[in-house]
Amino acid sequence: MGVNRSSARKARVLLFLCCTLYSIAGQCQTTTGQLTVSMTVQSSINLIFQNNPSVGTNGFCSLTNSGTNNVGLDLGTASFTPATDSLACVAYSHINANTYQVSSSFDVVVTKANTSSPNYRLAAEISTVPPANVVWLVNNTALTNTAFTQLDASDNYSQAITKTLQVQVRNTVPAQSLLETVTFLATAN
Amino acid sequence: MMALALSSAALLAQTANGTINSTLVNKSGISLVFDTAPGSVALGNSGTSAASANFGIISAFGTLSAGVTRPTVGPTTFTVQTSFDVNVIQGGLTSANYTLTANLAVAAATGISYKVDAVSLTTAAQTITTNGTYNSDVAHNLGLVVSMSAPGSGGPAVGFPITATINFTATAN
Repeated sequence: MGVNRSSARKARVLLFLCCTLYSIAGQCQTTTGQLTVSMTVQSSINLIFQNNPSVGTNGFCSLTNSGTNNVGLDLGTASFTPATDSLACVAYSHINANTYQVSSSFDVVVTKANTSSPNYRLAAEISTVPPANVVWLVNNTALTNTAFTQLDASDNYSQAITKTLQVQVRNTVPAQSLLETVTFLATAN
Repeated sequence: MMALALSSAALLAQTANGTINSTLVNKSGISLVFDTAPGSVALGNSGTSAASANFGIISAFGTLSAGVTRPTVGPTTFTVQTSFDVNVIQGGLTSANYTLTANLAVAAATGISYKVDAVSLTTAAQTITTNGTYNSDVAHNLGLVVSMSAPGSGGPAVGFPITATINFTATAN
């Protein structure tokens, strides 16, 4: 037993010497640090506009900045008479004896993350009051600047939903530029 | 006259000297600290070996905290990222550089994985670099790869703080 204790003491001394020598020689040098990372994940959904696969044909004009949530849509120059629009991609029609309509379709895609929401509802709103006898519509639903108007109650995520923006202009409307910012709102159900 | 000369000579011969035998063991050593990288998340306890990085609220599409970027989104995961600096300070070494490894202290929470630079972390040590430069801030990217699945379907818990500890080890080459 006494021999064993003596051997253990010798081993400890040897280990200490070895470590000291390693340290002095510059070997066996390590150091550690700890980085604590924290975050809170939040569910979210995202809406983008993109060109319809039929883009370029009549009724499907190209969007500027397609694939983003902030796009442009040029509907050209139109008149009641002659009954025409300057852009071939714009669908033009007379909807009654004294009003013409121009329209173009595009796709809306809403994507979800970290939510179990099964679908979403879609609404739209225009930014300013249009001139008298001018109406802005999406899929035949007239829009206002006072509240969002619901377009769909339950659209599927990650699926392209085709929407048609229409402008109806009576023949009494003076010549002018018509400009609106149409805000689309997707809300998770 | 003769007596004065002898006395003077005797005084001039009074000298003494001594020596000090001194030893110093100059021990080598290295240490590691985390520093806030410019334009990145401000680390808690920056300048120490036990720092923290708070990403705040993260999401696939929402606004992120200052210093956090979102390099990729979809179709099944999104990544948020920030940078931090590692400064390994050495003294008394002949070592030219160091090897840095990292590992998660415990397994990552469901739906989240952690990357340092291009290396995905596990609870086993992974090599981040084999030639780190001593005595200077070396920038590294810290990425969180987050599943976009819903909670309970493979995605992370939503609305609750999630924390992980990453252990770093620097070894002199």
